[in-house]
Amino acid sequence: MIAELFYRRQALILGTLSMIGLLVFWQIAVDGGLINPFFISTPSEVWTEFLAQFEDGQVGANVGATLYCFVWSMGLATVVGIVLGMLAGWFSDVEAALEPFIWFKYSAPTVAFYPLFVAWLGYGTPTIIAIAFLFALTPIYANTLSGIKNTDRDLARAARSFGAKPLDVFLQVALPGSVPVMMAGLRLGVGRALTGVVVAELFGANAGLGYAITYYGQLMQTTKMMVSIVIVILLGVILTQILSFLESKTDSWRVDSGR
Amino acid sequence: MAQIEIRDLGIDYRKPKSNEVFSAVDSVDLSIEKGEFVTIVGSSGCGKSTLLMAMAGLVNLSRGSIRIDGKEVTGPGRDRAVVFQEASLLPWRSVRGNVKFGLEMQRWSGGDLNERAMQMIRLVGLGRFSDYHPHQLSGGMRQRVNIARALAVDPDVLLMDEPFGALDAQTREIMGTELLRIWERHKKTALFVTHDIDEAIFLADKIVVMGRNPGHIKEVINVDLPRPRDEAVLDSEPFHDLRKRLRAHLAEDMSSMQLVKEVA
Ligand SMILES: Nc1ncnc2c1ncn2[C@@H]1O[C@H](COP(=O)(O)OP(=O)(O)OP(=O)(O)O)[C@@H](O)[C@H]1O
Ligand SMILES: [Mg+2]
Repeated sequence: MIAELFYRRQALILGTLSMIGLLVFWQIAVDGGLINPFFISTPSEVWTEFLAQFEDGQVGANVGATLYCFVWSMGLATVVGIVLGMLAGWFSDVEAALEPFIWFKYSAPTVAFYPLFVAWLGYGTPTIIAIAFLFALTPIYANTLSGIKNTDRDLARAARSFGAKPLDVFLQVALPGSVPVMMAGLRLGVGRALTGVVVAELFGANAGLGYAITYYGQLMQTTKMMVSIVIVILLGVILTQILSFLESKTDSWRVDSGR
Repeated sequence: MAQIEIRDLGIDYRKPKSNEVFSAVDSVDLSIEKGEFVTIVGSSGCGKSTLLMAMAGLVNLSRGSIRIDGKEVTGPGRDRAVVFQEASLLPWRSVRGNVKFGLEMQRWSGGDLNERAMQMIRLVGLGRFSDYHPHQLSGGMRQRVNIARALAVDPDVLLMDEPFGALDAQTREIMGTELLRIWERHKKTALFVTHDIDEAIFLADKIVVMGRNPGHIKEVINVDLPRPRDEAVLDSEPFHDLRKRLRAHLAEDMSSMQLVKEVA
């Protein structure tokens, strides 16, 4: 227990140290003339610029716009992915019917659909949500599917021996047994939804972190651009961490988790 | 008429990746009286589990019939409960939740589920562990939960497939003695599959010896050792005789079994 705690602490400390090391190296490298600040700015300038953008409301507006699209796309992907995944995991006919779409999604880059969505939904929020939805859908669907499909046969048989109906087996055995792998799918989905939103915003938007990145990028204002990049990274880390935490809560009964 | 009547039972399985069928159990006739403790022994793969699962209504019969209290077995039923070899407990439920599970699936209407579950948990000596989860229990404790779950639904027939198979010899002996204690109190009809000769004799009123290719009944041996039994019986003369007889049976089966075939 204590050793484990220490180990987890240690991982955290080492991670923090290496991040700090990177920032220090970045600052020194630029200050020492090793790298031209035009390409990458410096941590101190980014921080100052962040405070300025925070003051004038840019940060709030961009984060708000990005999170709005994120929540919608992630919400839709969660509902659709879990419902389809459950159906496909339980009924092999549904799985077979959906199979081609999944292959299609795996082999074709999702961004390729961008112009199509623009034609249907126009530039802006709806298209961004649609792209991010597609980004997030696959891991949520695939994990739910495999969780339900790989239901422990022994447990299902034990349930049936007590007279469980198929619906009982689904609700009492298949579904609870799949929760941890579904949560892992959601964790992957969160990262991909955020990526989807930012990528779509790079192409066409009038607000949001991705929009700010292209906007300042085109103006060659590296420091201003770096602010949004750093925020995207932090947002990704925070959201994924929240999901990891929820994930560890739901699989405490797993023998191998030991946490 | 006996409580359980098995007539000319045959069960075929389809071989994987081919259309060939092979007979796991064939021409089995067996009668079991109410309240009897019957153990089933036989070498690995001779169809013991298949026979038991057929009685549980969990595999389809290819030939013949199984009747329990005159009713034909067509699927699982409230009159039977199974204790599986692997404890097959729901890992996300506590001990109490697992014992309640069978009751919930049966839509139990005989009073408070929690109370009933706790009663059974105490019966198998796990009163202090009712809030533990399966991964926090030892193998022996898990099997106790498995047994409590089966007893909770108050079946007429208890079907047990090597419930102590994964336990060490000592724990096994303790569990066997306790199982007898519980059984003597409730006098349910019990079928108990085992590999262990001593266990088979110690528990049984009647030992069913099975042979292989296809699975069939070689002999049914009556055990007339007095009850209640304790470890002392293991050293008695009649026990030794029975042990010798069973050994001979199983040795014969092993020598007739081609190892080459097993490996392939
Ligand atoms: N679902 C199945 N499909 C095909 N063959 C099966 C299936 N279940 C069991 N068999 C075969 O039927 C035969 C009898 O199996 P069974 O599990 O009843 O043996 P057993 O006597 O319980 O063996 P053990 O003592 O090792 O548990 C074996 O040859 C096995 O390979
Ligand atoms: Mg078996």
